[in-house]
Amino acid sequence: MGTDLPGLPEQLPTSSVRYVGRPVKRIEDPALVTGTAEFIDNFSLPNMAHCAILRSPHPHARIVRVDTSAAEALEGVVAVLTPEDVRRWATAHVTSPAGWGRHCVATDKVLFVGEPVAAVAATSRALAEDACELIEVEYQVLPPIGAAPAALAAGAPVLWEEHGTNVIQSRTYDWGDVDRVFAEADHVVTNSFRWNRCGANPTETFGCVCQWDLTDHSLLIHGSYQVPGFWALARSISLNLPANKVKVVGHPQGGAFGGKGGARATDIAALLSRKSWGLPVKYTEDRMEYLLAGFSQSWDRRYEAALALQADGTMTGFKVKLLDDQGATTETYGTISVAKPLAAFTGNYRIEAARYDTTLVVTNRAPTAPYRGYGPPPHFCVLENLVDMAARKLALDPAEIRRRNYIRLDQFPYTIPSGNEYDSGDYEAILEKVLALADYSALRREQAAARAQGRLVGISVVNTVEPGVFDWNAYATVGVQGVGVPEGARVSVDILGNITIVVGFNLQGQGQFTVAAQVAADYFGVEMSSIKVTSAPTDSAPPHFGQGGSRLGVAITGAVLGACRKLEADCKRVVAHLMGGLPVDAIELMDGRFRIKANPSVGMTLAEAAGTMLGRSDLLPPGMEPNPTATSVWTAPNRNVPDEQGRCRSYLTAASATHVVMVEVDRESGRTEILRYFIVDDCGTRLNPATVEGQLQGAVAQGVGAALLEEYVYDDGANPLVTTFADYLVPSIHEVPISQRDFTVTPSPVTPLGAKGCGEGAMHTTPAAIICAINDALAPLGVEITETPATPLRVWTALARAGAAG
Amino acid sequence: MKSAPFDYHAPQTVESAVALLQRFESEGIDSKVLAGGQSLMPMLAMRVARPQVLVDLGRIAALDYIRAENEVLAIGAMTSKRAAEDSALVRERQPLFHAATRLIGHRPIRNRGTVGGSFAHADPAAEYPAVALVQGIQMKALGPHGVRVIPAREFFVTYMTTCLEAAEVLTEVRIPVLHGGTGWSIQEFVKRHGDLALAGIVATLRKVKGVCEDVRIAAFGVNATAVRLAAAEAALQGQPATPENFARAAALGAEALEEPIADVHATPAYRRQLIRVYTGRCLIEAAARAT
Amino acid sequence: MTTRQRTTVTVNGRVHEREVEPRLTLADFLRHELHLGGTHVGCEHGVCGVCNVLIDGRVSRSCLTLAVQADGAQVTTIEGLRNRETGQLHPIQQAFIDEHGLQCGFCTPGFIMTTLELLAENANPSDDAIKDALGGNLCRCTGYENILKSVRLAARRLREAGGSGAQAHPA
Repeated sequence: MGTDLPGLPEQLPTSSVRYVGRPVKRIEDPALVTGTAEFIDNFSLPNMAHCAILRSPHPHARIVRVDTSAAEALEGVVAVLTPEDVRRWATAHVTSPAGWGRHCVATDKVLFVGEPVAAVAATSRALAEDACELIEVEYQVLPPIGAAPAALAAGAPVLWEEHGTNVIQSRTYDWGDVDRVFAEADHVVTNSFRWNRCGANPTETFGCVCQWDLTDHSLLIHGSYQVPGFWALARSISLNLPANKVKVVGHPQGGAFGGKGGARATDIAALLSRKSWGLPVKYTEDRMEYLLAGFSQSWDRRYEAALALQADGTMTGFKVKLLDDQGATTETYGTISVAKPLAAFTGNYRIEAARYDTTLVVTNRAPTAPYRGYGPPPHFCVLENLVDMAARKLALDPAEIRRRNYIRLDQFPYTIPSGNEYDSGDYEAILEKVLALADYSALRREQAAARAQGRLVGISVVNTVEPGVFDWNAYATVGVQGVGVPEGARVSVDILGNITIVVGFNLQGQGQFTVAAQVAADYFGVEMSSIKVTSAPTDSAPPHFGQGGSRLGVAITGAVLGACRKLEADCKRVVAHLMGGLPVDAIELMDGRFRIKANPSVGMTLAEAAGTMLGRSDLLPPGMEPNPTATSVWTAPNRNVPDEQGRCRSYLTAASATHVVMVEVDRESGRTEILRYFIVDDCGTRLNPATVEGQLQGAVAQGVGAALLEEYVYDDGANPLVTTFADYLVPSIHEVPISQRDFTVTPSPVTPLGAKGCGEGAMHTTPAAIICAINDALAPLGVEITETPATPLRVWTALARAGAAG
Repeated sequence: MKSAPFDYHAPQTVESAVALLQRFESEGIDSKVLAGGQSLMPMLAMRVARPQVLVDLGRIAALDYIRAENEVLAIGAMTSKRAAEDSALVRERQPLFHAATRLIGHRPIRNRGTVGGSFAHADPAAEYPAVALVQGIQMKALGPHGVRVIPAREFFVTYMTTCLEAAEVLTEVRIPVLHGGTGWSIQEFVKRHGDLALAGIVATLRKVKGVCEDVRIAAFGVNATAVRLAAAEAALQGQPATPENFARAAALGAEALEEPIADVHATPAYRRQLIRVYTGRCLIEAAARAT
Repeated sequence: MTTRQRTTVTVNGRVHEREVEPRLTLADFLRHELHLGGTHVGCEHGVCGVCNVLIDGRVSRSCLTLAVQADGAQVTTIEGLRNRETGQLHPIQQAFIDEHGLQCGFCTPGFIMTTLELLAENANPSDDAIKDALGGNLCRCTGYENILKSVRLAARRLREAGGSGAQAHPA
């Protein structure tokens, strides 16, 4: 499996690496800049109908009666999906932990505003929406739970009668002797923190086209699916179909940043297809639907946290108490956000003991979903703010207190208290580099001068570990089973020597097709432009997962290398045989030629070897198949099953970054302006530096949004108040600072080519960096911000309360 | 997010537009005028507006003009905001109106959005109505009973509501030229560039030997319509143009403001604060521009 | 039932005549009537700019325009940019590739159309002018840095080529 693959680009069978590690142009781009890429809403099947969904206007209500007769009578309506249909044909969604999933359409009561209640397929989307308005639903309104504390209050309504409680899971993890460490500490800093909901908001919403074959009991699904194979399996379960009769064709996605693929929406479109006797049915989620009830909302959190330190600033213990509002169900995998922090719980630091006290509750808000970072971004905001509080208390510079606590270079691989193993890292080198890049002492002088003028200028030095290459075991603590996430690639060579790589996922924007082509091109010494990378539907794809947990760059590299290695072995057999029956190990691959080691001028290219395999069976070694194709499925090596405290080797790689940010807060309005932004990151081997840099700057933009602008606001009755892009503020070019960046490279010793997962990247760090900078600006006033986003209103209100507003 | 169904008419003249609107009114048919569509189309898509028929003024070429008539800039209601932005006449004779135009949304919104549309739509956060109150802009409308000229202070009635009747069409906006020597300023607070303002101020004044005369201040984004800040104006009128006087006037203006709007972005107290801050900043800028 | 209306729209130089529901947006008309799927839909309420096209040379949100309003208009979409015969990319498209100004690509046609108008009017825009023009286009992937670089590069190449390229290729 992974261990004999090249561990660094220099170990590829080439004397000069041409593509890996270079900022090569992406093969995905021509189709995208011409608008010819087939995003799902560009796809049609003949006689396709269009779906619109009727959604609950109430956060909590019993469904008394649903009358679809007027909708069914509207000309152009093809089928109407009722709760009865769904009860008859479908089952509740599987969730982690188990038992907190519902049917695609509410069958007995509704639990959040926006929950589907019925759906229509018609000849146009507009008509389908007209028909939805004709469906009469009688509700008996029930008292809602508007926020997590209300879910725990005595006498609170119980949302899930079958569970008898609003608590999905309550667990405390104890790693090391936490109580002793805190008792013996010279200093303890504590704080509370509120992280409000924000979320992915890719520019493309979800979409699918479903076609049910009633004769064959099979289902064809096209759509914007991040993890096609996984989704096909999940749909077979919820729709009671054999797993190998559900075929998902994943289309390129216009961004995802979490978990793209509407479970309920797919089921609804599929069932409408079933009800309309097998017509294809398209569903395109519109933006308001996405904001309301898509995979759109994440991280609704209340934290209490504490850091234990010795007098010299050494951090010894870290305690976190988290109350997490999952929303009405756990179908959209929001629970995993609570589990993932175990992969990097104590960040870059040598903290020896930690406690994680978690309570996950249901409320009548929308179900929470994955978002880039998947839990650590709020977690690190809490940790890094505590570190800064400690720095202020001990009169230490924030860079210095961090430096004193870093895991040292010679301590890797390093197992943190929560059990994960960091593969490698050189945090001091990153810090030195970013402080130099930022001219940190000059920044502090600038800050001092500004303060003398009464300006509120703040600087932060914030670092995080950015876990990469996830495994299922990372999420065992919320009920996810299994160890080992596969990613397969099938590499084949045609008779003319052209390489085709088939994978199981499609594009989201991170450029994995290009990475795959780079790797194969360097491996076989061919032009990158001659390689085709394509996505196979689930019925013919190799085992795969797709994007997620900053894994795919590493995983697809491993899969492609593994397949190339197998192909190499087959080609060597052919060449050895053709060279007069030499032993196979007399042949080596170098610079695109299979040559005799003892006589390197004699050899054959991949094209010649493949051409022989496919064109001259008489020349092949006995028993050799004419098949220049190889499939390899990569999975992270050395994973294990978690123990009773959730400890295991989960995320394979530990990238890291330190951000230095300078902000100014306007005393009169509370607005935060980002004056300077510096990043030094280390994600091991940078397979394509241009795409890595793009991921960094892109994550900075999302981090700025999370820290300053983006929030899903609800009233006390769980009614959403932010429902359009007029109120959910995705940053524009004016709000995003261009970061100045540099990098270090500490390769991973355990991955193919030494790359680390980097896609989620700066999202782990930017929100913490901005909030810490704001708090550095406000510290002299005794004001701190402990709630996100730090909107002008919030900051001004905090200043005004302290009598410090302008 | 597809609109509810509607019928559509695109008359070629404003008279026929009025006739259509009058007919629909008498037949009890709910109609709406379509100008640039940049504000109306989202409302249709969200189905919060559901007219049975749209009357599109977009074919009425006669409503697309920018003319100087002595001391007035007459802008046809269907002139694009972009044309106003690009117009040398507007930039030179009404720099305040020009600056307000530049604050509206983004280039594509201004390409299709019309000058008249913002007046007729009467969004509380719109810039033009505040400029209208401060500059004495007049709205010219054609209805079944003929033409009438409506001063700004009568035109804006409340939230998203003007005094235009169902069958009346706004045809022209008449903007007095900014007098030489008048200082002006328009500033607004937005969380994200190009968004509707949470609060904003328009101010003009003249300076006579360092003393503020003819002080006019209007706030937008805080009440159901743009409002003149009479208390602030009175406090500054006849006073020396000093930062202290500006701050005092701003404080009085904010204090006297009718309870501001509350929404997810701002509390009433915060809007009041923004009005105080931006009044001060606008007065400083206007005074600096005054000659 | 509402009355369907005839609309005649010239798109990328080719005339299309259709009968449509009045409520049909130009975005949906382009995408589903004319099967020109390069213009994308992101929000349907005029904020994200993903649906930007040129209408009579002016960048406009096609989701906020009715197909019937475009009757008689010249519309330019992303499909009109590359050379129809040779497939050669427009300099703006090539610049976006060269500067990695896209990741998922969904917002890219909207950005390119906005850039087309900008560079037609201003051959040497400052960064402020570029940001001013692009402020109404949202991107969730790139963080805008490489988009800025792409526009700068496109402007430079068009200037070097004589400045006449800031038009869509003729039909």
